[in-house]
Amino acid sequence: MLKYLMKRSGIYLIMIFLTTSAGYFLAVSSLKPAVLEQEKIPRPTPEQVNASFRGLGLDPEKNAWERYIEWLGGILTRWDWGRSPNGAFVNAEFADRVMVSTRLFIASIILTLVIGVALGVYSAARQYKFQDRVITSYSYLVHILPAPIAYFLVQLGAISINEAVGERIFFVTGISTPGIEPGWPAFVDLVAHYAVPTFAMTIFGWAGYQIAQRQYLLDNVNADFVRTARAKGLTRNQAIRKHALRVSFIPVAQSIAFTIPAIFTGGFFAEAIFAWPGIGLWSIQAISLQDVNVATATLAYGSVIFAIGAILADFATTLVDPRVRVQ
Amino acid sequence: MSTNTTPVERLRDAGLYSPGDAVLSVRDLNVRFNSENGVVHAVRGVDFDLMPGKTLGIVGESGSGKSVTSMAVMGLLPETADITGSVRFKGKELLGLSDKAMCKHRGSDIAMVFQDPLSSLTPVYTVGTQIIEALTVHNPTMSKQAKEARAVDLLRMVGIPSPKDRLKAFPHEFSGGMRQRVMIAIAIANDPRVLIADEPTTALDVTIQAQVLEVLHTAQEETGAAVVMITHDLGVVAGMADDIMVMYAGKPVETGTVEDIYYNPRMPYTLGLLGAVPRIDTATKQSLVPIEGTPPNLALPVTGCSFAARCPMVSDACLHGEPELFPVPGVSVPGVEGQTLGHKAACIKAEELSGNADAHKIFHAPPKPVSKFDGVARVERDKVLELKDVKKHFPLLKGALIKRRIGTVKAVDGLSFDIREGECVSIVGESGCGKTTTLLEIMEFHPDQVGEVVIGGVSNKVATDHKTKMAMRKEMQMVFQDPTGALDPRFTVYEVLAEPLENLGMPKAAIRKRIMELMKLVGLQPDHVNRFPNQFSGGQRQRIGIARALAVNPKLVVLDEPVSALDVSVQAGVINLLDQLRAELGLSYLMVAHDLSVVRHISDRVAVMYLGNIVETGDVDDVFDNPRHPYTRALLSAIPVPDPQLERTRERIILEGDLPSPLDAPKGCNFATRCPVFAALPAAKQEKCLTLEPPLASEEEGAQDFACFFPDGEIDADMLVVHA
Repeated sequence: MLKYLMKRSGIYLIMIFLTTSAGYFLAVSSLKPAVLEQEKIPRPTPEQVNASFRGLGLDPEKNAWERYIEWLGGILTRWDWGRSPNGAFVNAEFADRVMVSTRLFIASIILTLVIGVALGVYSAARQYKFQDRVITSYSYLVHILPAPIAYFLVQLGAISINEAVGERIFFVTGISTPGIEPGWPAFVDLVAHYAVPTFAMTIFGWAGYQIAQRQYLLDNVNADFVRTARAKGLTRNQAIRKHALRVSFIPVAQSIAFTIPAIFTGGFFAEAIFAWPGIGLWSIQAISLQDVNVATATLAYGSVIFAIGAILADFATTLVDPRVRVQ
Repeated sequence: MSTNTTPVERLRDAGLYSPGDAVLSVRDLNVRFNSENGVVHAVRGVDFDLMPGKTLGIVGESGSGKSVTSMAVMGLLPETADITGSVRFKGKELLGLSDKAMCKHRGSDIAMVFQDPLSSLTPVYTVGTQIIEALTVHNPTMSKQAKEARAVDLLRMVGIPSPKDRLKAFPHEFSGGMRQRVMIAIAIANDPRVLIADEPTTALDVTIQAQVLEVLHTAQEETGAAVVMITHDLGVVAGMADDIMVMYAGKPVETGTVEDIYYNPRMPYTLGLLGAVPRIDTATKQSLVPIEGTPPNLALPVTGCSFAARCPMVSDACLHGEPELFPVPGVSVPGVEGQTLGHKAACIKAEELSGNADAHKIFHAPPKPVSKFDGVARVERDKVLELKDVKKHFPLLKGALIKRRIGTVKAVDGLSFDIREGECVSIVGESGCGKTTTLLEIMEFHPDQVGEVVIGGVSNKVATDHKTKMAMRKEMQMVFQDPTGALDPRFTVYEVLAEPLENLGMPKAAIRKRIMELMKLVGLQPDHVNRFPNQFSGGQRQRIGIARALAVNPKLVVLDEPVSALDVSVQAGVINLLDQLRAELGLSYLMVAHDLSVVRHISDRVAVMYLGNIVETGDVDDVFDNPRHPYTRALLSAIPVPDPQLERTRERIILEGDLPSPLDAPKGCNFATRCPVFAALPAAKQEKCLTLEPPLASEEEGAQDFACFFPDGEIDADMLVVHA
């Protein structure tokens, strides 16, 4: 198993290198930070701009290949991912951004997963009954609702609760209140900030899992092996629980591992609306600020997360399906 | 209560069970399903009594309600099914029990073996877990060790080698036959009194079928269970069953002992079914009995006899009121004690069919067609296809990035044979023997192939340009196994048939004319050309497939299992059509089939394949009447014959194990590992089989070729089985 993981990791490492390099070339040839410098007042001369960029390792006079070698050398020798046009070090900000994203998403990822799969099983067992119709209709409705609108609705709801109570229970934006004293007050403050985004992402996030789990389970409810289990003397519900559920979870386990990275890297709506400046928002900002190094770094991070997701998917599949054997 | 009832009947009426009584008693069972087209009345009044230790065969074509009956008995039908009547197990009513209450009986009193062993076991649990689950459900107090020991015993009983290790194996590590053995082990785990087997061998190869039937036989002996055997194959039940119930359109149409049904059928449907099955043990070349038409739509009310639309003896009286099952006149109804069913038939003309009614005459079976080639000696006819030492080896690779060759799979290993004008050559053998690869190699027709393929005088070594290849394709066409999958559902029949003609650049008007000809040729109505394939029955779709193959006037038609997806009654019609077309159009056939009875009926020559090699080939009558190679002998003995007396006294060679993987093909004779003759040989002679490869040669001029050093050798006694 370890050998297999090493081998897969090696292959993904090569793929990450290739996507990141390709991303760097794309960024370096299309992002021109010098254009933004021209909007400064007083307007700097091109020589001044070039000189300041040269100091940051962003020399616009070098060609793409030279800059790539310089950038790659920095990473390989000093683990230095370069600097932004404003002089900030990518390495310095990176860890903070990743932390913010992780804190924002981790609870809702676990909650969506558990609730989504549980509701999928519940609705499949009651196919076409009232409960199934309500749950599944809700999931389809949520699917077509754009995320920003959904999040705004939750924020409005939280605000109206605050108003109704007459006290600020929930914070609809931000990570924490500045200057809060540590200990119990800090914890209450954290929960008050955390509740709204987590709630919003959870209730609008489980739909995909619910629909997938329901569908895969229904595909297996009438499978021949469930009939065999019933012929042995298991009740219908026992047969479904023991035999159909595990088989139906195989494709869901695969998809879970792949959706987690998508949430991390594609969560900029949530980060922007709830004002949690994480990695997703950073990548969008990097493009608008013509920041080559940050754009490439976020891309590299996305690739790593995807590789981890893919390995997790393999791992999850081997765990639930004995037919897949690791060699 | 009337005075002339027996004690058994009085007990039964009181809801009690007496030991001599039927263990399973079904009365007036009706099953209705709600569908989009209205209520489908799938089972309409089934009655039967199953005596302890006896075997009841339920026979009928697909859609006749056999399986629904068994599922109703098991309580496994969907909740939406409307089930009425009575199903009593040892006098206790089972219908109407809740799922939970029914679970006490399922798997302990009544167990079931299903048709498809590949999908009937849960893929993610070991077979041990699945067997032990069956034990746990009904014996919650049994210790873990006791359950494991019992599971090992069960696996041993059904003939799985090294059962202790195999407990930890997953279903995908077993072959189909092995999985069906596991299914039987699960079914008999709790010593059921009733074992229902629903087409238990339909999905298996003939040699494996013989093994599994043998295991069922052992299981019945060990447990003393009564067996309900559901099948469409009249051969399978002939040797096993005591009583037979023939079902048609959801209703039993004839019941009786196995002798009554096979030797004295009194319902035209039964008669037709028996005449529709080709026989492996007779050389008489007679057409098969086709039963035209399709079963009635059970969503509509049945007003007359349900078989009337297809019955050649139909008269006005048949259309008024559905005939009930009543005792066949002239046959004494046996006493109630001991005997289950008297001979009964649901036909108002049962009396007319007494004596030896000739199914061929009644069903107007066509005369055996005569071909213009029949009088010509084989050597004087032209060769339409010739294979010279054709090989197809697949490399077996290992490794993710850099592939290493760790072995070779010899799918086809040096095949040579030819087909002459007007003859049908069949290739037979178990799955995995290389039949399909042979066909693919012929269709491939590429200069880079190993060996030479000559079609209509054109060799694959010469024909490199597109034009000669197109000419070759015109000479040879193919009919596929699954008529539904082989036709594009979005094409009308006209479009299906026009496509090959358009490829040839035929003008529009000529295409239209040709299509009308083709429709008539294959026995379809020409005005149906604008219909889509789903508006035809399975047999009609296969006729469309044949018409498409014939569109470009080929000389050779390759038939890949042309009738295996069809019901017996429909199969007969398609086989007759193939026979007739061959005679009328002077076609040659290359057929691949696993049903040796069909092969015997239609072929002139046969080639028996084993692990990529031909082990015996020659005239079909020579090979079938006097098989020389032990593998051919085993194959032929494995085919059940629809004749109860013959079947009970037949010696059967049961081959051990499955077809070995072509990867481990041994040196010397490929077949030695499973050979019943080899097993009986003294060690000195065995040496020869293990070191030398027997050549394919004949003993005398004109006889069949075979590849064995010890033909007609004595068969190992352990592999011979007779059920006297």
